[in-house]
Amino acid sequence: MMRATMLLLKNVRKAFGAIVAVDGLSLSIRQGEVFGLLGPNGAGKTTTVNMAVGLLKPDQGTIELDGAGSPDRPDVRAKIGVATQALALYDDLTGEENLSFFGKLQGLTGRRLAERVEWALEFMALADRRRDRVKTYSGGMKRRLNIAVAMIHDPPLLLLDEPTVGVDPQSRNAIFENIFSLRKHGRTVVYTTHYMEEAQRLCDRVGIIDHGRLLALDTVERLIAAHGGKSILVAERGDGEFRVDTDDPLAELLRLQKEGPLQRFRVERPDLERVFLHLTGRELRDA
Amino acid sequence: MNAIMALATKDLRLLLRDKTGFFFTFFFPLLYAVFFGAIFSGPGTTATGMKIVVVDEDDTEGSKKFIRELNDSPELDVDVADRQAATDSVRRGRRIGYVVLPQGFGKARGRVFGGEQIKIETGVDPARKAEAGMLQGILTKYMYQGIQDAFANPDKMREQINESLDEVRTAQDMDPAAKATLQWFLPTLDRFMRELPKGQSANRGWQTFDLESKDVIVQRGGPKNSYEISFPQGIIWGVMGCAAGFGISLVDERTKGTLVRLRIAPIARMHILAGKALACLLTTIAAPMLLLLLAVVAFGVRPSSWPLLGVAVVCVALCFVGIMMLLSVLGKTERSAAGIGWAVLLVIAMIGGGTIPLAFMPPWMQPLTHLSPVKWSILSMEGAIWRNFSAAEMVFPCGILLAVGLACFAIGTKAFRWTEAS
Repeated sequence: MMRATMLLLKNVRKAFGAIVAVDGLSLSIRQGEVFGLLGPNGAGKTTTVNMAVGLLKPDQGTIELDGAGSPDRPDVRAKIGVATQALALYDDLTGEENLSFFGKLQGLTGRRLAERVEWALEFMALADRRRDRVKTYSGGMKRRLNIAVAMIHDPPLLLLDEPTVGVDPQSRNAIFENIFSLRKHGRTVVYTTHYMEEAQRLCDRVGIIDHGRLLALDTVERLIAAHGGKSILVAERGDGEFRVDTDDPLAELLRLQKEGPLQRFRVERPDLERVFLHLTGRELRDA
Repeated sequence: MNAIMALATKDLRLLLRDKTGFFFTFFFPLLYAVFFGAIFSGPGTTATGMKIVVVDEDDTEGSKKFIRELNDSPELDVDVADRQAATDSVRRGRRIGYVVLPQGFGKARGRVFGGEQIKIETGVDPARKAEAGMLQGILTKYMYQGIQDAFANPDKMREQINESLDEVRTAQDMDPAAKATLQWFLPTLDRFMRELPKGQSANRGWQTFDLESKDVIVQRGGPKNSYEISFPQGIIWGVMGCAAGFGISLVDERTKGTLVRLRIAPIARMHILAGKALACLLTTIAAPMLLLLLAVVAFGVRPSSWPLLGVAVVCVALCFVGIMMLLSVLGKTERSAAGIGWAVLLVIAMIGGGTIPLAFMPPWMQPLTHLSPVKWSILSMEGAIWRNFSAAEMVFPCGILLAVGLACFAIGTKAFRWTEAS
């Protein structure tokens, strides 16, 4: 059954002077999915997020949230939680005070506010540091608090803009676990990143964006199948290393073994990096 | 309204945790007011006697008694020293004058008739003619006090009369007519003193008038003490510190990204600015009120009208909330906003009486002061503290403050950059 649309962008365009940041972008993000917006730095991901939350007005096109209208309207914006790329926290307030303050701005009061603050602290594993000022937190803790603030009012749509930048592996894994948990509870997550392995691991569907244009949009498997090409078997004999494109690496390995003994081998499966290379002619990490 | 309150509470909490901001809002103005108030404070209302030094060359019981009488007098504050030290203390300005009691002073004082005339030397700075005259008058008063004492004691008086009569009889160079007169007068006086009833003084017969002196505090139009000038000035520095601090904090919100999160929240942009303005307003009212309270309790400041002072403080606060908004658009970064903001504030403080009191400014500067909201701020507060402004007189400076505040707020909100990019 087709799920309802949570966020709809239709032919959206945004330019800053002569620079076109987003060029005719159309997206339909479904309720309950984790949607990845993958692209290199400067591809237009953050501009897209900023338009989606009403921070920027598109020059052209429309944006609609949960069938309620444009995020220009405060009541529509209340459906969104955003963890911006820059850590938007008050260093001289405690973690608890930050959550409480932003919760109040979202209209939470009294017991409901206290419950949500408690939940967010527990969810992001920050409860034991709740009364410490944010300036004493590690980078990973600040990132987690940044996400917790975005979730304080329990929004149906969560936009996470590069949430793992500068984060240690332990905190990154914790963030991934949180995202899985949110998906399990039916929340929609838009996840922008330039790390393809993150998109591959987390996202139900991925939109690949470059120079402000959407190059492809589908599930990771389908994108790889459509644009990733064949697996590559890399083998080594006495006469050196050689690469073989193949749809069936195991069969190819057996065939090569019959031709002569192999010293070592490995299989390079197609991934989103290869998809990006195929679509743009450039590698994602070099873009 | 909840959002505005939440924003204001957050800013106040951040201010309390920012030691530098807190210092410049509350303690620096206090230091300023106390420091300059103390520097320019005069001797106050406690009256002290004329400071003189006495050289006692007689060193008898009579001269010592005279010095004690001088020292007990309200008109004089007496030190005793040798001639050299006394001269030096006058020359160096530590004492107004010196008085030399020569040898034989004790015996001569109180002698009514006869004997050699005693010469009392005084030394006073020639530039202080008024004080010299006063000192001579005071000395004369206490010298005659001795004669008055003699008349109060008939037995002692008769002793003196008989001594004088013996001197007159044996005098060789006295004018015969004067000698004859005295030889008639002195026995007559002796008879008068002898026939006085026991215990009665002859003073009443000699008294022509009694001079009574009362202190009258002159009613002045100026401040009662220097703190009534220094505290409004100090308050202005605190208010400027608030305006600068909150203006810079708006830039800080933008550069650090928290402004983005505020804008994403389901509130209007004006709510964000209103929250900042409310926090600034509350601080710029609370800081002056605390300082004024301290000024009243500890520094003798006595506002002529508390209600008008309240109005003045609110108008000053509203004016500087507007200025805060304007300061927030002067720089793209915290550093540039702080630099440009304080440069502007220092100029308006200098020309507005924030550093040199308005009353001390040269005439050519006076028209310039009208351009500074600091001038109208100080004037409105002084109007309610010591200038005795009526409500009607307060309308003009307060009206200017409100107009400046409104204009600055309007320009600031219009020009405010909501994003780094724009």
